[in-house]
Amino acid sequence: MAHHDGVNEVFLALADPTRREVIRALGRGPASVGELAQPFAITLPSFLKHIRALEESGIISTSKSGRVRTCTLDHDRLTVIGDWLDEQRHLWRERTDRLESLVTDLEEPR
Amino acid sequence: MTDTALDPKLDLTLERTIRASPSVVWRAWTDPELLARWWVPAPMQTRVDRLDVQPGGGFVTSVREGAGEYHPHTDGVFLVVEPERRLVFTNVVDSSWRPAKPEPVSMTAEITLDEHAEGTMYRVVVRHGDPAARNLHEDLGFFEGWGSVTSALADLVESG
Repeated sequence: MAHHDGVNEVFLALADPTRREVIRALGRGPASVGELAQPFAITLPSFLKHIRALEESGIISTSKSGRVRTCTLDHDRLTVIGDWLDEQRHLWRERTDRLESLVTDLEEPR
Repeated sequence: MTDTALDPKLDLTLERTIRASPSVVWRAWTDPELLARWWVPAPMQTRVDRLDVQPGGGFVTSVREGAGEYHPHTDGVFLVVEPERRLVFTNVVDSSWRPAKPEPVSMTAEITLDEHAEGTMYRVVVRHGDPAARNLHEDLGFFEGWGSVTSALADLVESG
């Protein structure tokens, strides 16, 4: 899955209080889905939807061993929120790269 | 004048010598067909919905990935248009002149083109609004703003 506009995806994933709690819990280290689900009074299928949303945003990764699925936080992925200006800088730099390659092509047709 | 001081916490600048004339660079910005070729990175595609290059004119693009649906992307207005020299636009006012709350952050971008021995001296200055003022989707139970996200992250790290 591609992550272009990382900030928005991460924000969407963080939109839900359950998911924020899960992230907070994973900040202390990897944990199984069962352990993570314990504090919440919701059904396992609903909880799994949150896990999937977090996984799709790239904030967490999961791996299955036997019957246990373990979740791990990707700290790098979360830092996009703190680095919004870096993200914009990166966007403009890449945008300028593409502009430059287009106009140099236009100027000197091969 | 636009020579206002920059805030390093909010603003970004970029400067580059481009081996093409200012008129060609200007065309890449103002011809919808050309703009669509570089505005967003592949595999995303841009559709330029409006590119009315005059002060107050609309700048509207949509993007999509693959054969998916187009989603709104840029929606702003041009503030200053000096052909082949300077282009300023903002997303704080949308193309219908309605005050907007753009995501992920409000900004005014200033593009300056200067003649250069090798082609064009290309400068970008982007002044951003305070992201703490972001109006997040409160109905979704979003964080109050960047500030509280940062403190939530600090909590995370401290507890981690």
